[in-house]
Amino acid sequence: MSSEKNAVIKVENVSFTYPDGTVALVNVDLEIYDREFVAFIGQNGSGKTTLAKLIAGLLKPTEGRVIVYGMDTRKASIHQLATHVGYVFQNPDHQLFNMTVYDEVAFGPRNLMLPEEEVRKRVMESIKIVGLSEEYLNESPFFLPKGLRQRVAIASILALRPKTIIVDEPTTGQDFKQSIEIMDFLKHLNKLGHTIIIITHEMEIVARYADRTVVLANGRKILDEPTRIAFTRTDVLAKAFVKPPQITRLAQALTDLGFRRDILTVDEMVEDTKRVLERNRKYRRR
Amino acid sequence: MSNKPIIKITNLWWKYEGRKNWALKNINLEIYPGEFIAIVGPNESGKTTLAMSMNGLIPNNYKGFMKGDVIVAGMDTKKYSTGDISKKVGFVFSDPESQFLTMTVEEEIAFGLENLGLPVEEIEKRIKWAMKITGLSEEFLEKPPYELSGGQKQRVAIAAVIAMKPEVLILDEPTSMLDPIGKTEVLNVLKELKRSYNATIIVIEHRLEDIAPLANRMILIYNGEILKDAPPKEFFDDIDFLLKHYVFPPEAMVYIDKLRKFGIYEGSIPLTFDESVKAVRESIRGITK
Repeated sequence: MSSEKNAVIKVENVSFTYPDGTVALVNVDLEIYDREFVAFIGQNGSGKTTLAKLIAGLLKPTEGRVIVYGMDTRKASIHQLATHVGYVFQNPDHQLFNMTVYDEVAFGPRNLMLPEEEVRKRVMESIKIVGLSEEYLNESPFFLPKGLRQRVAIASILALRPKTIIVDEPTTGQDFKQSIEIMDFLKHLNKLGHTIIIITHEMEIVARYADRTVVLANGRKILDEPTRIAFTRTDVLAKAFVKPPQITRLAQALTDLGFRRDILTVDEMVEDTKRVLERNRKYRRR
Repeated sequence: MSNKPIIKITNLWWKYEGRKNWALKNINLEIYPGEFIAIVGPNESGKTTLAMSMNGLIPNNYKGFMKGDVIVAGMDTKKYSTGDISKKVGFVFSDPESQFLTMTVEEEIAFGLENLGLPVEEIEKRIKWAMKITGLSEEFLEKPPYELSGGQKQRVAIAAVIAMKPEVLILDEPTSMLDPIGKTEVLNVLKELKRSYNATIIVIEHRLEDIAPLANRMILIYNGEILKDAPPKEFFDDIDFLLKHYVFPPEAMVYIDKLRKFGIYEGSIPLTFDESVKAVRESIRGITK
């Protein structure tokens, strides 16, 4: 690991217990680096969403501390936190509440007491980034299809210009085309310089988009590796009831023929097939 | 399988009130008793609308304009109420939260049975049977819904519907809101239903890896029309056609289709993971022998 890596988020020995006594996280350490694309995976109840909310400052640690962009989340103001880390809820309807798309996206900047001119600028900029046409601005967000409602939710977070964006289950309930559109869009934000954290159950999505994968089970971090390596640790993944993507499992079932164990996509598998065939031909010639 | 369809749809068109476009366009479909059918297609393509027109919710509970006929278990959906039809056609929604009506699992499963006016012994017998098929042990009977996981809630929802012993069971994306454990639980229920319950099962589903081996027939709906209606072997044989219509087959199928294009694999696309492993192994050994 290079020393130039800049940890923008530091989770230091954090435990979290909900007021009803449910222990959600136990002694978690985690660093997220600038411009990373990270996936949190694990079953419901494993602590993924709690960890994400702690990073966004929506929850404060019971023990340990969370430092985001140099600020302790227990001491920083909501304004300071919201302009550094944005959290997009799994269900956009839990987040949207304004009468028009414009007011929804403008809500955050207005809370920052920005002049209306700057608010407008940020609204226009945000809807442009998420690919929402201006004709929606005066419509009610609730009557848009789910894919568009989610874009409004993301735009309203972007308007605060947070450097890190956390999206909870971006593809749940979306079909294949919508999933790819949302994920390509998050990749685009990543390339623009944002650090992205997603929470997901879709391993094909993790394989295609996330550089690094953090696996949680029973409130503990049980794996934290580059995605390519994470999916080879099938013994640890099994403890979190997680299976690698189907194409990865196919390659892993064929290692006796010489296939790599760390295939992530169909295209990689096709490339590896050419290599396996070539290698086997060479052996045959000998 | 009998020769008389349990569902017969003839020249069905449906348009929701206030919408410009037809949600369903000239649907013709015959479904036979005992079939296990998977309906696939992108969101907003008409899958749920078609499912709702099979249990009478359309046209009875939605405003819109209908042409054509839907006959289900001998009932014309235009002439019978959704209540009458629901005795023969059970419907499970994707969000298990939305269908819970009562305070305990037992009450939830008994609710529909009491409405049927069945004797107490029969109700108890059916609750036991439905819980067995959905893999719910007796300790669940007294539990309130909020103590259940998503997968457990969905299994209770299925138990409540099958306890009515419907001839047709329709499940609209039953796993889409669940985590992997919940998905596996519900999938196991589908397997058990196929094995031991002699009903016609219709499942709307995006994730095809698990459903393809269960279905005897796959239907692709796109833009309100049936574009393909075939047994799984034939359905998955044209991978490019599916991708073009935003249906994403399991990765192993997409890969083996590529091998076939390169001339490395010959034959049809395997439907299960194990068959895929075997197919790749044999073709690679065959070439390098």
